[in-house]
Amino acid sequence: MGDVQNRFPYAVLLLAIAAASLPGCSSKPPIDDGMLVIAFPGAPSGIDPRLATDAYGTQILQMTHASLIRMDAAGNPVPDLAERWEERSPTEIVFHLREGLRFHDGKGLSSADVRYTFAWILDPANRSPHRATYGTIRAIDAPDPRTVIFHLSEPSAPFLAGMVRGIVPIGSRAAGYSPPIGAGPYRVDDFRQDSEIRLSRFDGYFGTPPAIERVVVKFLPDSNVRFLELAKGSVNFVLNGVDPDLIPAALENRNLVMEEAAGSNASYLGFNLRDPVLSEPLVRRAIACAIDRESIVRSLWKGHADLADSILAPCFWAHADGIPEVRFDPDAARRLLDSAGYRDPDGDGPKPRFRLTYKTSQNELRKQIAAVIQEQLHRVGIDLEVQSFEWGTFFSDIRKGNFQLYSLTWVNIQDPDIFYYAFHSGQVPPGGANRGGYRNPEVDRLVEKGRREPSRGKRKEIYRKVQLLLARDLPVFPLWISRNILVRDRRLEGFEITPGEDYTSVKEMTVRREKGAGR
Amino acid sequence: MLGESALAAQKEELRRELRLDRPVVVQYGEFLLGLAKGDLGTSFRSREPVLREILRRVPATLLLSVASMVFALLIAVPLGVLSAMRQHSPVDHLCGFLAMLGLSMPNFWLGPLLILIFSIGLGLFPVSGYGTAGHLVLPALTMGTGMAAILMRMLRSSLLEEIRQDYVRAACARGLSRRDAVLRHALANSLIPVLTVMGLQFGALLSGSIITETIFSWPGIGRLTVQAIEARDYPLVQGCILFIALCTVTVNLVTDLLYSRLDPRIRYE
Repeated sequence: MGDVQNRFPYAVLLLAIAAASLPGCSSKPPIDDGMLVIAFPGAPSGIDPRLATDAYGTQILQMTHASLIRMDAAGNPVPDLAERWEERSPTEIVFHLREGLRFHDGKGLSSADVRYTFAWILDPANRSPHRATYGTIRAIDAPDPRTVIFHLSEPSAPFLAGMVRGIVPIGSRAAGYSPPIGAGPYRVDDFRQDSEIRLSRFDGYFGTPPAIERVVVKFLPDSNVRFLELAKGSVNFVLNGVDPDLIPAALENRNLVMEEAAGSNASYLGFNLRDPVLSEPLVRRAIACAIDRESIVRSLWKGHADLADSILAPCFWAHADGIPEVRFDPDAARRLLDSAGYRDPDGDGPKPRFRLTYKTSQNELRKQIAAVIQEQLHRVGIDLEVQSFEWGTFFSDIRKGNFQLYSLTWVNIQDPDIFYYAFHSGQVPPGGANRGGYRNPEVDRLVEKGRREPSRGKRKEIYRKVQLLLARDLPVFPLWISRNILVRDRRLEGFEITPGEDYTSVKEMTVRREKGAGR
Repeated sequence: MLGESALAAQKEELRRELRLDRPVVVQYGEFLLGLAKGDLGTSFRSREPVLREILRRVPATLLLSVASMVFALLIAVPLGVLSAMRQHSPVDHLCGFLAMLGLSMPNFWLGPLLILIFSIGLGLFPVSGYGTAGHLVLPALTMGTGMAAILMRMLRSSLLEEIRQDYVRAACARGLSRRDAVLRHALANSLIPVLTVMGLQFGALLSGSIITETIFSWPGIGRLTVQAIEARDYPLVQGCILFIALCTVTVNLVTDLLYSRLDPRIRYE
């Protein structure tokens, strides 16, 4: 009797496991059903275009919400909801909407919805993080259902970049996990906070309807698990989510292929120019010469990065050509330090010329990079102390200007006005992002001019000068731009990897049907 | 919250709105007052009430905790009893070895290993996620293994003490088989220390296992806490910590109350 009682729970457990595993056994990989399953390394905090700031939210919004315009890979505006736009004057911009636009609920999208979306962001009561972006908007008119007119308080060149903002219907509530609908190629069926979001094709989309009917985005924080999901086939599309170390192993699965394209997010080494040692340009140049970026890219990035010469990526329209390259040259670094008056007290002995601290986050790769830089600077006689902090603390220190050296990555640069924000002398912390406290009247003048100049050709010339000045003064040392790596099922075709990791081209993807596809 | 490019005036406005311009004492008083009314504040990140955010995650964590506990007990009780009854036998040594193995395998290693075997190799369960019973098995195994090891060793040593008591000898003398004497009499008496450990462990389980939840993308309290910390979502961090503390206290209370059920000698006035 006792035996039976003892065995009973096991029987139940085994039955439960068997029952649970049945759907697992019978289900075929989602690709066989033509389903695209994307994995993100993190979950968006929300997918309301008026509030979302994180990359994950932005990427989902590219599939679900249409905006007046979009930016192509080089950062040039292209039509989206607006079929064309014109500048009646530098402070009056008119957008003409396409005909027959619809939201996911089938209701029409008109200029009133556009006005509502931006008015909502500008209303201080709504506390939108994007409010400051639209600070120059004085008034928005919607004279007829297909025309929107923006009146600006002053000419603003970055204004157009700000128009990449998903439009929501009038009266949309701001509720964290029940996002407002949009007019993009995919509608949201189910948003499970922190686990996944399910999308399905929106048949009323104004453009060509997407070929893939269903898209699932899973939020998988663990990089091993993203790899394992890919290996199993339950995820079939990962952009920049597979560790460089694991890529060869992933490609052993003959259903998976890798694609690589240039990225846009430049990592840089930041100097604190208020520091007595680092305020000396020769010292900054010496540090730049002492860092062997090529070997770091080769060994730590496994070659999946390109050297940077500016914080703008080479593919970006405002990137300047002909910026003098900083070559790895430890001897030159030593000579520069000598001429700056920091002689090595004991030659190759243990005593350093001076000590610096370098702050970084707790990301494993960043810590490894820090260790390599530490060793490379040590060889020219600079003692580097590496401090690695939890992200929040690290970033808060950097924003306050509390550092000597640090390294960070500029992400998602939409407009060269970034130079105003990051290098204008009026933008020192806490107000702006001139974290190192760089002051150059010539740069100030140029970046002020650049943000008011409507002509793209003239802006390019202005920012070329800015980039040359920055390359001379080195308030930051641009390190490298990591490449975008896509690992996908070989049957998924048509995705265009853009430098900015856009998911806009998901709507152009197709699933190649083939007989006897299997692993 | 305001984004990188916010203006000073906007920041001041937000500070006023969040009442951060008040003295700390006043802020704390307001927090306690809100707490009494069940108001934990609003999450910065999602702009939803903190309580709702937490309650939304409770089912996932509760499910995983109960499943891990059940799994741990299913392993620990039979093996614990077996090793106590056959002390120093090869079976006992094997159980001791298994317990050591279970204790020393970290979850961040065991989790992916289980995925490799059961999900990729055998194709039995989904790799990660939440929703069906199949999703539950691997995380429950991962979390239950270490606990099973602890409970098994605990039960063994506590049962060994009881077996040597006179009443067990008396029961045997009355003609009960050794097995019946242990299972019917000694086992119940040996459960008190086991229950204590179980209570503590269950409290820890309820506060969510950060590592296991991250590996299996399990939307529970542990992940919520980490995300809140990463996003510097202070009201949510506060809420999570409070919830975790509350869970621990409640489980301990329930454990204490269970003592009196198990052992009639323990009475609460």
